[in-house]
Amino acid sequence: MLEHVELFFRSIFIDNMIFATFLGMCSYLAVSKKVTTAVGLGAAVIFVLAVTVPLNWLLDQYLLRDGALTWLGPEYADYNLSFLSFILFIATIATMVQLVEIVVEKFSPALYNSLGIFLPLIAVNCAILGGSLFMQSRDIQSLGLAFNYGLSSGIGWFLAILAIAAIREKIRYSNVPPPLRGLGITFIITGLMGIGFQSFGGMLTGGDDAAPAEGTTAGVPTNNEDATAETKVFLTRDDDPISKENAAKLGTTASEPANLSENAKQETEITKDLFNKEKEVSYHEAINK
Amino acid sequence: MSDKRLTFKKRLHIIKHHYRGKKMAPAFNALHTFLFTPDETTHSGSHVRAADDLKRTMNTVIMALIPVLLFSMFNAGYQYYAAIDAANGTVRELSVLGNFLTWDNFWIGIIKVLPLVIVSYGVGLLVEFIFAVIKGHEVEEGYLVTGMLVPLIVPIDTPLWMLAVAVIFGVIIGKEVFGGTGMNILNPALTIRAFLFFAYPTWMSGDKVWVHNAVDLAGTPDAISGETILGSLAQGDVYSYSISDMFFGFIPGSVGETSTFLILLGGLFLIFSKIASWRIMLSAVIGSLVMGLIFNGVVDQGWIGDTSKFYGLMSFPFWEHLIVGGLAFGIVYMATDPVTGAQTNRGKWFYGFFIGFMSVMIRVFNPAYPEGVFLAILLMNVFAPTIDHYVIRGNIKRRLKRLKNATILPKDSEGEEKELQVETA
Repeated sequence: MLEHVELFFRSIFIDNMIFATFLGMCSYLAVSKKVTTAVGLGAAVIFVLAVTVPLNWLLDQYLLRDGALTWLGPEYADYNLSFLSFILFIATIATMVQLVEIVVEKFSPALYNSLGIFLPLIAVNCAILGGSLFMQSRDIQSLGLAFNYGLSSGIGWFLAILAIAAIREKIRYSNVPPPLRGLGITFIITGLMGIGFQSFGGMLTGGDDAAPAEGTTAGVPTNNEDATAETKVFLTRDDDPISKENAAKLGTTASEPANLSENAKQETEITKDLFNKEKEVSYHEAINK
Repeated sequence: MSDKRLTFKKRLHIIKHHYRGKKMAPAFNALHTFLFTPDETTHSGSHVRAADDLKRTMNTVIMALIPVLLFSMFNAGYQYYAAIDAANGTVRELSVLGNFLTWDNFWIGIIKVLPLVIVSYGVGLLVEFIFAVIKGHEVEEGYLVTGMLVPLIVPIDTPLWMLAVAVIFGVIIGKEVFGGTGMNILNPALTIRAFLFFAYPTWMSGDKVWVHNAVDLAGTPDAISGETILGSLAQGDVYSYSISDMFFGFIPGSVGETSTFLILLGGLFLIFSKIASWRIMLSAVIGSLVMGLIFNGVVDQGWIGDTSKFYGLMSFPFWEHLIVGGLAFGIVYMATDPVTGAQTNRGKWFYGFFIGFMSVMIRVFNPAYPEGVFLAILLMNVFAPTIDHYVIRGNIKRRLKRLKNATILPKDSEGEEKELQVETA
């Protein structure tokens, strides 16, 4: 029960889709001109997330992950289909979005019209796919938790778009400098709202029994370990001086196994080398010319 | 004497007319109206001339802030000498006239606090003047209060260049891009504080920054402590301040946030002069008390052991949250900002309540920010338009219902009602 509550609040406020991971920005920026429309889209995102994340959890658990096919028979134990994650997840999402579209068109034509192209575009809303991929990389343990995660991530996204829509309705009468009108000021507002949401950053990590859920070092034994490592480093904000200092102060480890961050470091070094080489090559080419 | 003033006024007047319609006009106009009453009358239309214009509103808030500023200048010195005494092993007994209101203390205040005020005003007003000249509108008075609030909510040893950078950021991104005074969505003073906090965390948090010179002396034999009460609590340490010390403000902290007593007086003055909303203040106090009571209840029930990281702050008596840290200052001077707060009466209750609630929650649950008040207020600034939106929507709905239930309606009202519904949908 406690883990449900923690996951719920964590995904709404601390790991908010918009302000912590900046996912789903396109529809967030484009459909936030009016509160009513924003509420409609937000509700659609909540619904799609709450349905697709548990569905994809089932797919991941019984089809995709390493050894997931054992239920077919012992000879399938070695199969690891997780390279199919992206395509299967997105297929599920696209199906669900199509369903939502049909339902919305049938029951609320006004909302359907005001959402316009952005309703089918939920299918490629990064927040939706992001929800499923985070579910996979955070190794969420049960179907109930997966549902909880999808629902609460959706609510977090909903809150964000609701707040910005109200703000944009309020600043409609503001004397914003002409070059900034429209998207420009919206980006600035999003940044300022992000500062407000910073109040939750690092919350809950200092407790005695509240071990952070994402700190499960076991991880998913996928074949793209580097990718998982990278996301984890990103999620735990390894380079955040505040959390580091704070962790040092509190005597807790920063919930970040050393090898993971090293992995990421190596990777960045490799990319740096590649980048330098590329630079050199182009430099030589330029000289030769 | 009076001759001289008259000539100065006259000279300004001439300059003003000389520059009328030119680019620099707003700058001279601002100077003129700041120092003297303008001699112009309106030429067209009917106007209501109210006594409580923007300038007077701002000046009232500044008047409420002056005692806090003076106290903070004395307290800066007092904390400095008290910390030195503590490092030497002696306890400095407080006597208000004996060792608090002394020239030595005040001198520390002059060399440390006054530059903060001057830089804040200088840089901020410069940005305002530049924007007024570029955009061709009058200089707005909005920065007068912000410029006074900023030095009061930063640690005393904040480097002046840092403050200048933050002020430029806060005034431009927090206010001017929205069109200036009255149109911003986040409180500019808190935006400046948040910028400082996230850009230079080592200067804004920890146990050294709250007392003058503690950072420089760290690591030397003369090292002094500058820990605040909340910082001690977050680490489970004990502190040695009595309730009256906390209430009257003889404790370390941000420059002007310590004296709850003077802040209370300022708050009463603001309520009395109807500048600030009592609804927000009252509901914020209620919100923080409720959250504090919940935490105390958790401790009383034994749900959390005294080994927990949260024990120190959770077991802190609920009402004492109001007299330590910046909660009182935030509630009285920041949350009541009429621009960024909720505008509707019902909305103000929600807005204030959540500020108090979230402040105490962030204090306890977020060990990275023992001082969460400014973040709580910023967060509620973000949600204030949403609260207003739904309060207004609710009002419309209620009135529509009343309209429907009214018996004396003319017969053709149904069409009107439909129109209204279409409008509100």
